[in-house]
Amino acid sequence: MPFYLTDGGVNGTMKISRTWSLIMYLPFLICFVLFLIVPLVYGLYISLHNWSVFGGNGGFVGLDNYIAILTPGNIYSTAFYLGLKNTLIFVAISVIPLVMISLALALLVDSIPNKLKVYFRTIFFISYAVSVTAVSAIFKWLFTGNGGYVNNVMNTMGLSSINWLNEQPYAWIAILVATVWWTIGFNMILFINALDEVDQTMYEASSLDGANWWEKFSYITFPSIKGVFVFLTIISVIASFNLYGQTLLITAGGPAQSTQSLIMIIQQMVFNQNNLGIGSAMAIIMGMIMMAIVATQYFYSFRKE
Amino acid sequence: MKRKLLFSILLILAMIVSACGGGSGSSGENADGKIVIKYINGFTGGDGEFMKKITNGFNESQDKYVVEESQEKDHYTKFKTGNYDLVLIHSDNLETYRQDNMIQDISSVIETAGISPNDFHPVAKEQVTFENGTFAVPLDIHPMTMFYNKKLSPVAPTTYEEMKTLTDELQAQDPNLFATGIPSAGLGEWFIMTMAAQNGIDMIDGNHVNFAQADLADALMNYNDMIFKDKISPSGLGLDGEFQAFMKQVDEGGSSVQTATALTGPWYYGAVKEAYNDDLGIASAPTLGKEPGVYGGGHTLALPASVQDDEKKAGIAEFLKYMYTPENLINWADSGQAPTHLETMELVEQDAEKYPLAAQNIKQFDTFLGAPKLYQYREQMRYMVENVYPQVIKEGMTKEKLMSELEKAAEQAKQIADTAPQQ
Repeated sequence: MPFYLTDGGVNGTMKISRTWSLIMYLPFLICFVLFLIVPLVYGLYISLHNWSVFGGNGGFVGLDNYIAILTPGNIYSTAFYLGLKNTLIFVAISVIPLVMISLALALLVDSIPNKLKVYFRTIFFISYAVSVTAVSAIFKWLFTGNGGYVNNVMNTMGLSSINWLNEQPYAWIAILVATVWWTIGFNMILFINALDEVDQTMYEASSLDGANWWEKFSYITFPSIKGVFVFLTIISVIASFNLYGQTLLITAGGPAQSTQSLIMIIQQMVFNQNNLGIGSAMAIIMGMIMMAIVATQYFYSFRKE
Repeated sequence: MKRKLLFSILLILAMIVSACGGGSGSSGENADGKIVIKYINGFTGGDGEFMKKITNGFNESQDKYVVEESQEKDHYTKFKTGNYDLVLIHSDNLETYRQDNMIQDISSVIETAGISPNDFHPVAKEQVTFENGTFAVPLDIHPMTMFYNKKLSPVAPTTYEEMKTLTDELQAQDPNLFATGIPSAGLGEWFIMTMAAQNGIDMIDGNHVNFAQADLADALMNYNDMIFKDKISPSGLGLDGEFQAFMKQVDEGGSSVQTATALTGPWYYGAVKEAYNDDLGIASAPTLGKEPGVYGGGHTLALPASVQDDEKKAGIAEFLKYMYTPENLINWADSGQAPTHLETMELVEQDAEKYPLAAQNIKQFDTFLGAPKLYQYREQMRYMVENVYPQVIKEGMTKEKLMSELEKAAEQAKQIADTAPQQ
């Protein structure tokens, strides 16, 4: 049974057989299975075993790894809960700025003349193209306590120095500022694209009705870009859960392990303690927590609809 | 059509399988028919080129073997997941890699190379010798080193009292000048263990590091005193703060603090030499506790457990024979590292002006205390280094509070030690 595709009416109709469509689809399917399904299932399998990076499979242990991680009072649970707590703190403090500042920037860029838009869009997006290593090096230098740039500026303004990277909550603030600066361009571009899609005639009509800026935003703009807003909130939560490079390079997990993210803990379990079983189980639990949070977010975002 | 489909599937599978294949032949020979020895290390800094010089020298001298050296930032991860014939292991990791059966007794290989454990400084020999064999060849020891700025301190302070006097003199010049810097992170392990060594504290209890000792609490409180009582160090120095404060200039303005000395790793030599040139002095770590003593790291070369081929072993022996010829190993001293090979040490000492850092650090070997041979030693230290030590150098820390933290650190270390496979 052939499939029919049209190419816009220029050359008429193109016929593709089921076999060829399967062949075209096959590379994706193989890659999907090899690089997504197999590692996921293999990771789950490893998490049920006493598995050392050096020694390999030391035997099936059932849910022992999960029990060890979730039961307080041992090195694995202590490390896991520490990493989870730190990661949740970062998720809580980062998602709102990541979404709201990028939305504000998008609204600002959207309001300027079209000729200038492209320049500002590029400038704001350019930070996203910088590697985490470079971003971390820059912000570590900016926030260094002893004679760092930020402290020097504060001193010039008559303010006393802050030990940004060695005391809380300043260490989180430094990491948050670095993360927002680094990733905000991506969110902003998606918001700008969504704003471009909003029907301009609705604004004209609302102006005639005497709507102010806030009313236009609340009743026209936000409902029109809500899908993108929810999507960006969800991917910001996921990205914040995956916090690793910034804390590793800016604060090295300090002060006193307070910025050690869950990914850092998993990395330590696997590559320092060589415990692939525990590391995999931690990763699976982390994935489940992320899924639960994202599902809840999705449900509450669209429940009225 | 079904044939075409089958052909396509096979083609894709062939591509995937071929992509998974290794680069060189399974025989371990390269295109010239030479036996390849894959050597991995983590020398990605300035010392890397000096190790390459040794490897290249060997390759040029050989028509039977060729050493393919990989210098990787995270070489342990690469080693764990790859296939190598010779690996650089830090001395504090040897026990872990030995117990995990990742490395093997290298005695027969070094014997073939004409090398004996007695060819090395006793402290280095002790690091590689275990009850069931010799598990590595010592390369160097890098102890905590003192760099000093001769403009601020014409001579190196050698004791706590001299540090205190130096600070008083500096503070009279500028309140932002201090004798030295105690960092909150980075070299925490070195500061803890140097203080333990200088107070004669035995840190081992069975299979783990025993931090829960009143003597250790007393000793570590010295650092707190250095910051808050005697003002020898400024407070609030963060990650690698000892080095950063040494490199600062108070005339930069603001609240920058500068130190006259830095107790740090010898790998900063290039940077401090560039900054201070002839005003740079190098000295042994001062005695801040009761007796001289210094902690640090060491590099060793180990034979992975996977190497079983006799020809490979013969090639490795040939390479080690070449490397441990003093005229060749002196290149390593040229990088600033202090070799532990006795004949090479002699060469360094004879030409101390050419090898100032290596010559200075060789002087510290006799008071050097290396990492204890414990399974997962680095992980055993983690809680202490990342959680307890930063509190030691915070205002308001008392011996009582510290003891409670030391007990937690000891308990963590014990739990990690108990994960050892050879319990």
